[in-house]
Amino acid sequence: MTRTDAKTMTRKQKRLTLIGAAGVVLAAAAGLILFALNDQIVFFQTPTDIVQKGIPHGQRIRLGGLVEEGSLRRSDDARVDFVVTDTTSTIAVTYQGILPDLFREGQGVVAEGVVGPDGVFVADNVLAKHDENYVPKEVAEALKDKGVWQGQN
Amino acid sequence: MIVELGHFALVLAFALALVQSVLPLVGALREDRPLMAVAAPVSVGLFLLVGLSFLGLTAAYLTSDFSVLNVYANSHSAKPLIYKISGVWGNHEGSVLLWVLILVFFGALVGLFGSTIPAPLKAATLSVQAWVTTGFLAFLLFTSNPFERIPSPPLEGQGLNPILQDIGLAIHPPLLYVGYVGLSITFSFAVAALLLGRIDAAWARWVRPWTLLAWVFLTLGIAMGSYWAYYELGWGGWWFWDPVENASLMPWLVGTALLHSAIVMEKREGLKVWTILLAIFAFSLSLLGTFLVRSGVLTSVHAFATDPARGVFILGLLVLFIGGSLTLYAWRAPMLKQGGLFAPISREGALVLNNLFLSAAAAAVFIGTLYPLALDVVTGEKISVGAPFFNLTFGPLMVPLLLAVPFGPVLAWKRGDLLAACQRLYAAFGLAVVAILFCYWLWGGKAALAPLGVGLAVWLMVGAVAELITRVRLFDVGLKRGVARLVGLPGSAWGTAIAHFGVGMTVLGIVTASAFQDERILTMRPGETVELSGYDVTFDGVAPRRGPNFQEDVGLFTLRKDGAVVDRLEPSKRIYEASRMPTTEAGIHTAGFSQLYLSLGEARGDGGVDVRVYFKPLVTLIWIGCVVMSFGGLVSIFDRRLRVGAPTAARSRSKSRSALPAAAE
Amino acid sequence: MMFWISIAALTAAAALSVLMPLARTRQSLALSSDGGPAGAATGVPLDADVEVYRAQLDELERDLERGLINKADHASARTEIARRLLAAEEERTRRLQTPERSVGRSRRLATLAVIALVPLLSLGLYLTLGSPDLPDQPLLARLEAPVENQSVDQLVARVERHLSQNPQDGKGWDVVAPVYMRIGRPEDAARAYGNSIRLLGETEGRLTSQGEALTVANNGIISAAAQQAFEAAVRLDPQAIKPRFFLALALTQDGSRDAAVAAWTRLLDGADETAAWVPVARQHLADLTGTAPAPALPGPDAAQVDAASRMTTGDRTAMIEGMVAGLDERLRSEGGSAEEWQRLIRAQAVLGRADAAREAADLARTALVDNQEALAQINALVAELGL
Repeated sequence: MTRTDAKTMTRKQKRLTLIGAAGVVLAAAAGLILFALNDQIVFFQTPTDIVQKGIPHGQRIRLGGLVEEGSLRRSDDARVDFVVTDTTSTIAVTYQGILPDLFREGQGVVAEGVVGPDGVFVADNVLAKHDENYVPKEVAEALKDKGVWQGQN
Repeated sequence: MIVELGHFALVLAFALALVQSVLPLVGALREDRPLMAVAAPVSVGLFLLVGLSFLGLTAAYLTSDFSVLNVYANSHSAKPLIYKISGVWGNHEGSVLLWVLILVFFGALVGLFGSTIPAPLKAATLSVQAWVTTGFLAFLLFTSNPFERIPSPPLEGQGLNPILQDIGLAIHPPLLYVGYVGLSITFSFAVAALLLGRIDAAWARWVRPWTLLAWVFLTLGIAMGSYWAYYELGWGGWWFWDPVENASLMPWLVGTALLHSAIVMEKREGLKVWTILLAIFAFSLSLLGTFLVRSGVLTSVHAFATDPARGVFILGLLVLFIGGSLTLYAWRAPMLKQGGLFAPISREGALVLNNLFLSAAAAAVFIGTLYPLALDVVTGEKISVGAPFFNLTFGPLMVPLLLAVPFGPVLAWKRGDLLAACQRLYAAFGLAVVAILFCYWLWGGKAALAPLGVGLAVWLMVGAVAELITRVRLFDVGLKRGVARLVGLPGSAWGTAIAHFGVGMTVLGIVTASAFQDERILTMRPGETVELSGYDVTFDGVAPRRGPNFQEDVGLFTLRKDGAVVDRLEPSKRIYEASRMPTTEAGIHTAGFSQLYLSLGEARGDGGVDVRVYFKPLVTLIWIGCVVMSFGGLVSIFDRRLRVGAPTAARSRSKSRSALPAAAE
Repeated sequence: MMFWISIAALTAAAALSVLMPLARTRQSLALSSDGGPAGAATGVPLDADVEVYRAQLDELERDLERGLINKADHASARTEIARRLLAAEEERTRRLQTPERSVGRSRRLATLAVIALVPLLSLGLYLTLGSPDLPDQPLLARLEAPVENQSVDQLVARVERHLSQNPQDGKGWDVVAPVYMRIGRPEDAARAYGNSIRLLGETEGRLTSQGEALTVANNGIISAAAQQAFEAAVRLDPQAIKPRFFLALALTQDGSRDAAVAAWTRLLDGADETAAWVPVARQHLADLTGTAPAPALPGPDAAQVDAASRMTTGDRTAMIEGMVAGLDERLRSEGGSAEEWQRLIRAQAVLGRADAAREAADLARTALVDNQEALAQINALVAELGL
């Protein structure tokens, strides 16, 4: 818009231009948010969910459950394989990286990533939080639903 | 005695805050000066009482008085002194007490140094501040009393969460709180203006410095929290879009918008109604952040309080203050006189644009943070909204905003000339293009968007400098006069340029550290070497070591560049004795603005250990940029012109006063 | 007393901070814009808006000089600000002319309310929330109090503090270990014996005591660690009665019948028949070989553990009784876990105090009334002990 335009604009036009610009920005923002919410959110699933629903390969999910006792194997290049269980079903997980401080066998864990074509869950992020008794909120609730969890809360 | 005296002081402060909530406001509405005059001394009294209470709790911590439940639960006699002190606010009750202390501190500042604020506005503002104080004192006394006692006290405390035994985290909450709570004063000003039904031109002049002060601390607090997460959590990231981080980012975004709209209000009397709304939102988001962190609705890294009764109480306060102020706004705002008009291309227009994008970005963060909670409550479905969501929404909203930043200061008020503005920025534009081409040449097509990001950063930084230079016409008037003019520029002009330059630095750090980060994850055995970005990192072995209250396994690494040893890094895995809690300490080597970051994983039986090595080019610019931004804010606060109504020469010369924050005069 | 005086002073100061401005005469306030120190307030213009506009006019001139705006814009902006300035001046005059309302009544009410509300509310609330009779209890002062005034717990804490600073003081660990046993902290006792063994060396006595502590901590079941300790003790003194007694008991618990029979037989071979442990050993032997008449001392394994301690010396008896009394006292005053209650009931039964055991069981049921599982355990135990 050139300067002469601005000068000759009436009060009303000025207001309308402003409101129009605001509308465009807000509409763009709303569009972005809706698009991202549709596309970028990650659902929390337990091993049973995955086994029953059959999550399409390549869809990002958060897998939560307990690390099965005795399932942890470490190999070179900081690769770790373990099995996540909700006591009904199990899913094998592979991850390259450093496990969080509180990662233990028999403890709750949340892994984020995709299910590979071979059914192995490829995690790119593994979470265990900073509390000795911590079981991720989602995991605790999912396990409680199944009647497995015997925690105090 | 000091403990019980502290407790009593807290109760007394509650009673006094009740009085303060009513009397000055009634005075302001009825134009009864003596009633209004109550506000100032009582605001100071409240600060002294809560201060005494805070001292009482601190004394209990220092002497390990385990007859105080709070001390027993959060301290330990063997803890180093500094962490005994930081332990005071390292727990739920103490941190709320600190919150209230800062709340009344800001009230006392207004009471003491706001002598030129029109009396009704000052009285009403302090009354509103007292409402918030009353609410949070009630929260403290009835749900989170730090002075609860144990009749037959145990002989040892239960220690402090070791992750909190860190100097960064000892300072981080107070900084963040000063920022959060500082926004309360702006909120009180806004609500007071609504109650009185009048916004003076002077109003904006007081609001802006207070907002700036809060904003400076909020910026520093967020930067510090980010750096803390970077070196303490051992994940190598500096921002995780964790709900607690978002809780501090949202008030920052709205606070930044408020800062800019207050300029329009101050200079042009425009955007009054909008500024009031922003002031309400900024503090509402602070309250929301407090709610998210303090109620334990999110179990996250920072959330160390979990108690539903408290959550409900804070939620009540939240609804009361946010709902109340917004209702008041809906009722009174239409009565406020609207200010001057302006053309879309003008400094006002640019600031409106800034506000639009910042508010939209804040909305995106808000939805991303609360949508999972809301969905969980409504449908029980568990989702997580992580970095991809925010990158897709926050990123695109920031880019046009950042592109527009250099235009703002060079456009004239009311009716701007875009062509003339462009002329003043051609140098910045040219340098940005050169930077982009240079990056393509340097890195090739490795990351297609990164050179554009670098170009954006250069555009911001050079644009900030260009604004100053063209403003004084450095090249027209000659170097000597030009420099003299530069020195004579008002503080707010310098502040703007410095802060915008800081934004550029942060952008540069973010772009280079994310796009050109070099990363290796591997298992190393003693003697092995890994090469990374020109560095050779040799693993020499793991050695156990004993700290004052922890045991650690230290990984010994030697860092060589071109064969010469440049540094030895010692990342470690610690176990704190009292709690058996493990933590990770990263090993960091800083070279220029770049850092090499080493983090240790689990040790293998054969002496090998999992190692994660990053090279993060220019990563420190992220935080240095934030510090520069804050410095810009400080410079702007001390702009003499902000001290409206410093009429006599004698007073403006008085050093002690000029050193006091802002708004004051 | 000091405390109440301080409270009164604080309350008075708080009330005064409200009353003083209210009581101030109208004259002194007429010119000042607020209630701050009168000196600072005089000379300040009533309406700060005027100042703002003047500053804006100055800035406009500077902008013109820098060329940020052109002449025409400058002129129109100037007019605009001048208009606002005039309006502000008018507003100021208007307000100066408006007489202040008569405010006598509302102020009197306010004064009364403050005088009543501040002290009443704060004192009332404090008395419900606070503990005015509790003095400060800094740790150092508590630990430095005269020894005779200190409880056993306090003395133990003192020793613990000393040991945490001098963890290499083996003698200290040696001293505190039996005390831990007496106050019902067998786990700590075992750890303390472990430390004194590490620092001062193995002796039969320390090893046996460590094993005993581990066994008591484990509700009378001899764990692998305890067994190792007893075996080490026997290696040092093959004739020692007590570790051999426990080893025989371990074999009995394991169900290794033949080995247990052999162990008991060896233990009883050439034993002083008047020693108190002998009947217990005989009983076990009889149980194992299935030849026994009615048991002389009925009871489960834990009973024998305690019995064994009782048999050796009179001191031991006193110690055990002290330990049980300590546990009893603690559980009565502070309550405890289901395991602790069971330990007490068992111990009372073993000491032959059936009444005390029944009483403990009743107390346990009351204390654990919310815990179904624990109640079931208690009832099972009562049935087992035949109470």
